[in-house]
Amino acid sequence: MEKILRVDNLKLYYYTSKGVVKAVDDVSFSLKKGETLGLVGESGCGKTTTGFALLKMPTPPGRIVGGKIEVDGLDITPLSESEMRKNVRWEKISMVFQGAMNTLTPVYTIGKQMMETLQEHRQMEREQARKRIEKYLNLVGLSGEVVKRYPHELSGGMKQRIAIATALFLEPRVIICDEPTTALDVIVQAQIINLLKDLKEKLDLSFIFITHDLATEAEVSDRIAVMYAGKIVEIGRNGQIYGEEGPCHPYTRNLLAATPRLHEKVSTLSFIPGAPPDLLEPPSGCRFHPRCSVAMEKCAQEEPPLIEIEEEHMVACWRCEKR
Amino acid sequence: MRLGDIKNSIKDFWKEFRKVKSGLLGLVLLGLFLFILFFEPLLLPFSEANKRWKDITYWEDNPASAAPEWINLFTSKKRAVSQELEESRLEEKNAGTVRIIEETFVYDYRYDVAPSDLIFKASGSGNVTVIMSVERPDGQKIDLMRKPMEIQEGKEIRIAIDKTSKSDVLNFLKKLNALNGVTTQTLKTTDIIFSKIENSVSFTPDPLKGEYRILVSMILQKESDRIDSTSMKVAGRVQGILGTDNSKRDIWSGVLAGVKWALLIGLLTAVISVSIGVIYGVMSAYLGGWKDSLMQRIFEIFISVPLLPVLIVMSAVFKPSIWVIILIMSIFYWVGPVKTVRSMGLQIKEETYIEASRALGASNARIIFKHMVPLLVPYAFASMALYVPGAIVVEATLSLLGLGDPTIVTWGQLLQDAHSGGAMLSGMWWWVVPPGLAIALMGMTFAFVGFAMDKILNPKLKTR
Amino acid sequence: MFWKYVLKRVFYGILIYIVLVFIFSVLFNSVMEQTLRAQIEEEIRAEMMGLDSRSTQQIQSFVENRRLEKYSQYRLDKPIFERIIWRTWSTLTLNLGKSTAIRSAAGDRDVWAIVSEKIPRTLLLFSTAMLVDIVIGIWLGLKKAQKAGKFLDKSTSVGTMIVFGMPSWWLGMILIMFFAYTIKIFPSGNFHSTPPPEGIAYFFDLIYHLALPVLTLVVLGFWGRAFLTRNIVLGVLQEDYIMAARARGIPERKILYGHTMRTAAPPIVTMSLLALLASVSGNIVFEGIFSWPGMGNLFWFALQQNDVPVLMGNLAVTTGLYISGLVILDLIYGLLDPRIKVGGKA
Repeated sequence: MEKILRVDNLKLYYYTSKGVVKAVDDVSFSLKKGETLGLVGESGCGKTTTGFALLKMPTPPGRIVGGKIEVDGLDITPLSESEMRKNVRWEKISMVFQGAMNTLTPVYTIGKQMMETLQEHRQMEREQARKRIEKYLNLVGLSGEVVKRYPHELSGGMKQRIAIATALFLEPRVIICDEPTTALDVIVQAQIINLLKDLKEKLDLSFIFITHDLATEAEVSDRIAVMYAGKIVEIGRNGQIYGEEGPCHPYTRNLLAATPRLHEKVSTLSFIPGAPPDLLEPPSGCRFHPRCSVAMEKCAQEEPPLIEIEEEHMVACWRCEKR
Repeated sequence: MRLGDIKNSIKDFWKEFRKVKSGLLGLVLLGLFLFILFFEPLLLPFSEANKRWKDITYWEDNPASAAPEWINLFTSKKRAVSQELEESRLEEKNAGTVRIIEETFVYDYRYDVAPSDLIFKASGSGNVTVIMSVERPDGQKIDLMRKPMEIQEGKEIRIAIDKTSKSDVLNFLKKLNALNGVTTQTLKTTDIIFSKIENSVSFTPDPLKGEYRILVSMILQKESDRIDSTSMKVAGRVQGILGTDNSKRDIWSGVLAGVKWALLIGLLTAVISVSIGVIYGVMSAYLGGWKDSLMQRIFEIFISVPLLPVLIVMSAVFKPSIWVIILIMSIFYWVGPVKTVRSMGLQIKEETYIEASRALGASNARIIFKHMVPLLVPYAFASMALYVPGAIVVEATLSLLGLGDPTIVTWGQLLQDAHSGGAMLSGMWWWVVPPGLAIALMGMTFAFVGFAMDKILNPKLKTR
Repeated sequence: MFWKYVLKRVFYGILIYIVLVFIFSVLFNSVMEQTLRAQIEEEIRAEMMGLDSRSTQQIQSFVENRRLEKYSQYRLDKPIFERIIWRTWSTLTLNLGKSTAIRSAAGDRDVWAIVSEKIPRTLLLFSTAMLVDIVIGIWLGLKKAQKAGKFLDKSTSVGTMIVFGMPSWWLGMILIMFFAYTIKIFPSGNFHSTPPPEGIAYFFDLIYHLALPVLTLVVLGFWGRAFLTRNIVLGVLQEDYIMAARARGIPERKILYGHTMRTAAPPIVTMSLLALLASVSGNIVFEGIFSWPGMGNLFWFALQQNDVPVLMGNLAVTTGLYISGLVILDLIYGLLDPRIKVGGKA
């Protein structure tokens, strides 16, 4: 299967007045066509930053300092801002942002914003453009009438759907979904998840699905990458992570254990002690070692590389060996 | 908020504040004003300027409408500067019971433009005949006056030759046949005394530089008559750091005296109104419901009042003192912070610790004053700083219209005098510029400080 | 939906105006009545002039009768509360009494006639200044926001602070002293020369006289406008939807002038107009300095003449215009911000 997205050794640092925050530090992964890759981790682990990095839009004062990003065979790393804007953003990669409530300009109607985006990228007649907008709005379950509304007139769920429709209607290769359901209530969450799965099948889309919610991840993703403190600590297929043998990395194991189960009775909820590390001065060696229950001396000294323990299953932990 | 927290937040704030250059400049200027405020008695060249601003006798020895001394640095024609003359010779002659005291004052005249007056003062008691004359460097002697006078115990006699000796001096010219073409209206007595006489004294006389001896003879007839002390003063053409106005008052003294009032008016109004406004806004936000709506309606009424017109009419009708003016200004200024404070208050209200406090049984007053208001203190301070200039300008405007408190010396008063004294027309920039400049400077000071504070406390504006 | 908002706002405005006029009437009733009594005496005296053929007693009773009649006419014989209500009502209906010392251009003593002819002149001066101020200010503010933190931004911010506490009338005095007396470029006052020229020349004459006062106001004002614009625009630029629009590949130009400015427009426009409205009330003195025969100058003149009816009338009209300005501002905001225009809360 061809790789539609390849990320090699990506580094994105924030240059703040207090120092350099290594938010994304040497991250590598790939995405196959028609696949959903999940990016999981605690708040602040760098997953949203990675998403922005793929669009080459780091939030200031961030900067991409190293690595290579290849989309559909095109190396976008050296491209200039205007080239990115014209040819890559939304054409090849699009994004459904976290908190879609705030991602629509409040003073323009939905229709105007969608039309603007469409016409910026394609030479289309108004009628054609209108038809395409309507098509995608219908796909996400909204009536074409919604184009006349202003964002404040719509509910959160509707705005999220519009965000999805907008991310899709240029038919890009890769769509990044950043916590698309976090701000919504459970029922709407389920609707959106189902919608995404449905669209993926119908339109043969490739997704990167970013979330901190393991349960959603399990539902949606074909492969999962676990991030911690700016690094990928484990990456594997859905069945490998959630399957019987389970994940290998202690962090992933703890994350799964800490997820409450609907049908199990637990006397105490397990949790991971400590707090996510300060990325200004990350711990030496393996970044998880201060909170790891099975840490060895080596863990504090040397950073473990990602090694393949099964086919398509990589882990960065000194404790993990080939299965 | 505990003391330790307060100390820490002040330290953090100061660390940030130090980085803002304009804020530091503002603090320096503020320090300057405070320095003037505290050391005013030492700095005033005319120490009773405050009390005796409207007393013309206090200022009578100054030249009127004189420019500042330092303009001599910029002009080719140097103007005479005021100075006190020392007596160079004192002789007392006796002829029976009649005593004659002869004093000579030497004036080394090196300027291009003559002084505006020569003023002789004497204290003592009884009757005295004063004879004054001046010996010029070219040898000519001019009789200035011969007049019997009465000195009252404890008071002084004052002879200012500009008025008293005008005709004498003109006679002198007549004798020399130099009276032709002399415009007696525009020339001062001193202009004639201190200039060369060719065929006539022209419109712009040539200065006669050199040593002038002013002789004063005082004839005392009775034993009881006596002279205790005398003084001879040259009232220059220019005087002081900022010159004088048309009532001979030293403008620099006026400006210095105005500092304390400006600070008082500005700070008091700002502190009172912002305090009221913050508390009002927080209360309105916290109480919510109909109480909030009611408070907002009242607020709307106040905000619909055009401040200055109302203030003007009220001042015209009721003629208030400065304290009442400050009070009225506060009554209108408090509306300023309310809207912002209320929205901040609404946000704080949603915080869970507020809910927790309420659940613990804390009274409304306690929650408002202990939990909410302290969070708004930084914003309040920034607001206060920014309100000061406005208050000062409003008071100055009132004074300019003649509605200010007439018992105090404010910069607005100075400008009112300037306006009614036709300073603009006469080009007396030293009267018009300094008081307004002082207002602008103080405004600038508080603007620098206030904006710096605002920049630090308002995260959206950070550009680093 | 929007019409509801409009009606509500206008209604409140009128209500507030009534309340304020009532308060003014309470405050100033006694002073006004003093003047009124004096005016009545004057009227009676004038009438007496034509009565020399009668005896002293007859004249006396005539005077007393007339006085009672007039008092009754002006309601001075009624209880105080009723008098105050009556005064409020007459003020609201623009029945503002007669001036003691001033006449309108047509020779009229009626206060409303005097005040109303000044209104357009004040409006002319301040709307011209407002226009120039806003245009320059917003343009500069945008530039500052685009290059935030850099030299232009910092230096113009300093400029804002320097003029922050500067009285407009003082700057006017300085500029007049310099440009009208020292270097005689501009006229020192009034809004047209005497005699006023005809036709198109009148227009140019007007501009010639507008130049210095407008210059003064603009020089002081545009800094504030620029500062405000810069802050609001910067605030909007940090919003998520701007970032999202960029991600969608919208060019920077459309983002700045379209998305950003359109969102920033309501607060910028209304806060600018509000600040200018507030400064108009302070520019009373300003008109005086320039001898600009508008409402502000009228205040000054009435003060000198101690003409209480004109002061009161002018105050009532000024307040009315001020409140109208505030209401119009709110309506403009509502119009510009679709969150209000199309229902829902702002």
